Amino acid sequence: MNVTLADRPSALDVAGIGYLVVQVGDLDEAIEFYRRVLRLDLVGRDILPASGSHAVLAAGRQLVVLASNPDRVDLKETGVHQAYRVSMPARDAIAAALAGEGVEVKAYKEDRPAEERDNFYFFDPAGNRIQLVVSGNAKAPGIAGIDHVAMLVADMLRSEDFYLNELGLAEDHRVGWATADYVRARKWAAGEEDMAPGTRRLDKRYTVMVNKKVVPRCNMQLFMRAGDAVLGIYLANQHFQEPPEELAVGMPRVALAAKRAQLDKTARALQAKGRTFLGPVVHPASAPVEASLYFRDVGGNFLELCVPRARG
Amino acid sequence: MAEVQSLSHSAICVHDLKEAEDFYCGILGAHAHAGVNFITEDTIKGRSVHKSVVLEDYLIALALAGDFMPMPPDEQLRGAHGFRHAFTVGCERFNRTLDVMRQRGIKFQGPVTHPEKGPFGQSIYFKDPSGNFLEILWRRDENVAYDATPEFNGE
Repeated sequence: MNVTLADRPSALDVAGIGYLVVQVGDLDEAIEFYRRVLRLDLVGRDILPASGSHAVLAAGRQLVVLASNPDRVDLKETGVHQAYRVSMPARDAIAAALAGEGVEVKAYKEDRPAEERDNFYFFDPAGNRIQLVVSGNAKAPGIAGIDHVAMLVADMLRSEDFYLNELGLAEDHRVGWATADYVRARKWAAGEEDMAPGTRRLDKRYTVMVNKKVVPRCNMQLFMRAGDAVLGIYLANQHFQEPPEELAVGMPRVALAAKRAQLDKTARALQAKGRTFLGPVVHPASAPVEASLYFRDVGGNFLELCVPRARG
Repeated sequence: MAEVQSLSHSAICVHDLKEAEDFYCGILGAHAHAGVNFITEDTIKGRSVHKSVVLEDYLIALALAGDFMPMPPDEQLRGAHGFRHAFTVGCERFNRTLDVMRQRGIKFQGPVTHPEKGPFGQSIYFKDPSGNFLEILWRRDENVAYDATPEFNGE
């Protein structure tokens, strides 16, 4: 019997993002920034397995894990970013805090309609791009939760197949498949639209068939729904070294919150597909998650299904 | 003479690769074959953005138009927007094909019955989502084996 992760029509049953591991160069500096500016509460240090030297902070009911890595890859010019849901008053407060710290805030035109109405980007001290998304459902005075995460892939079609057909995520939006996207790319090249880093590029044609040295294009992007969150994958337009094939656990990492039965089901399906994975691993009571299934996408991005532990 | 052998493939421009692939694969029964500029290496080389599908043994390259193309009027289902691709089905299957098209909501013109002395039996005419004109027909000569490469007799 051909086992699929999705076992459609029932897709991967996740609540959303459980936690997010973000790599930073200076851990103490990052902790201070996320606490002071984003008003996240420190839950603990070095309490999450497979995360190295780290701090765990609460972003609503979700967690942000700042993990120390002085050798982290600079991804400022790529589409990689993390986005948080906030209320409008919370965003105003964060904007004031950023202004007080002299942190530049950028607003771009957006490819994804859900983000077009309102956007707000800045970098943390380590160079991780952060986006704030105003949500009518956000009531918390600070960050209400993680809205979406964007990662890089080197093969969009394989990744599309993995996420939509194997994992069973639902498609949210795609960019780069339609003429309209490339018409917009020309607007960007003409200076008519300011777009976020990693979404546009100037292709150097290797053919003489057209009398143009460069062609403005958009980078392929595919956004998918995972519970109440969205995962975005961007086609990288430069090579990044991928982790070794046999490595199932690593950072940065996106952990999706699921029930224990989903971990077992996904493990069986990954095994049937010959994918690299580890677990389910049961964690000690001191960890903020009860169990984890570690795996990776076909682009080498580290993923996890986790069972969050109820916090007091 | 150049002595070309056969028709290899067609490259047609479309406005949406996903929509086009869904149409050619999901409705006409082609198989997804490949995509270009969907991997990092292609972006570095600046290759054109296209996908390809294979219908039986014939490859159709779906090239993404870099700009919006003029579209034929909605109500026009038969024509040649530069060209028209005609696909063959067996006579016994033709009516079932029409049923599928109706079930999938594909508007078509026909069936049009061709002259009895000609090679074509009946055709329907329709468009893909990007306005490329298409045709499905059955042939009266479907059981006739033509000599594809008549030999030159040297005289």
